[in-house]
Amino acid sequence: MDIVLRAALAFGFIFFLTRVVGRRELSSLEPFDLIMLIVLGDLVQQGVTQSDYSVTGLVLAAGTIALMQVGVSYVNFRFKPLRSVLEGEPIVLIEDGRVLERNVRRERLTRQELEEQARLNQIVSLDDVRWAVLETSGQISFIPKQ
Amino acid sequence: MRRSLLGLVVVLALLALFDVFGQSPSTTSAAAAAATLHVDSPGAVRGGLLYQVRFTVEAHQDLKSATLVLDTGWLDGLTVNTIEPSPVNEASRNGKLALDLGHVPAGEKYVLFLDYQVNPTTVGTRTQTVALDDGETRILSIDHDLTVFP
Repeated sequence: MDIVLRAALAFGFIFFLTRVVGRRELSSLEPFDLIMLIVLGDLVQQGVTQSDYSVTGLVLAAGTIALMQVGVSYVNFRFKPLRSVLEGEPIVLIEDGRVLERNVRRERLTRQELEEQARLNQIVSLDDVRWAVLETSGQISFIPKQ
Repeated sequence: MRRSLLGLVVVLALLALFDVFGQSPSTTSAAAAAATLHVDSPGAVRGGLLYQVRFTVEAHQDLKSATLVLDTGWLDGLTVNTIEPSPVNEASRNGKLALDLGHVPAGEKYVLFLDYQVNPTTVGTRTQTVALDDGETRILSIDHDLTVFP
C-alpha cells in the first residue's frame, strides 16, 4: 500500500516543483541541470522504493506515476479553469518590438537571453519582433514584423 | 485496447492500496489454558523490504521456560536483523529455531520483536509455524502464511 502512496506523493511534489521553478529553467538542459536531474531522480527513487528491490515494487511505483500523469493530462484536457494552474499560461515578452519588462523580470530572463533566442530564430533585432511569447513548454516563439 | 491496459494498471494500484502486495501486518492468535500467543506479521512482502514481526505471549499460568519454536519458514531467504529482547538461549530443536524466553510469570506478558529484511532473490509462499512450549511441553502452535513477491 505504502509504495503507491509514496509514488503518488513524489509525483505531486515533483509536479509542484516544476511549476514553481519556472518554465525557462526546464526548457534548457545545461550540464549542471543534467547532473541535478540525475541527483533528483536518485533522491526520488530512495523516497519511493526505499529498500524495495522487487519487480512488484517497480511495477507499482511506475504504474502509479503513469496513472498520475494520465490523470493530470485528463484534468488539464477536461477542466479549462484548472489548465492555467496545472500547465500555466503563455506569457507575452515582446509586443511590437517593445520588451515587456515586468513579464521578462518575472520569468528571470535577461535581455541578452531574449536577443540570443531571437538570433536563433533568424531575427537580428528585437525591434523586428511583433510578438515574442514564452510558451508553457518553456520555449519562446517569435512572430516577426512583416 | 490502450484503455484496457490502463485499466489493468489501475487494478494493480488498487490491489496494492488494499495491501495485496504487502506489507501491513495482521494479527494471528491462538489460546490455550496456559497461555495465549499473538503473532503480528505481514502476510505478504516484497524483495528487499524491511519489516517487523511481534510475538506476544500472555501467560495465564506460570511458564517456567517459555520457548518459541520457529520453523524454517521464519528464516529461509530472510535476514534477521535483530531479535529484541535477546532470548535467554537459542538452540536448534529438530531443525527448528528454539528461542528460550525464560520465566514468564502468570498474568504477565512477554513481547518479542524480530526485525527482518527479505533477501531480494526470495520468492514464493511459505508456511511459517510458530509453537509456544514450556520447556519441552507444547502449549500451542500457530500456522501463518507469508508470500514473498518477486
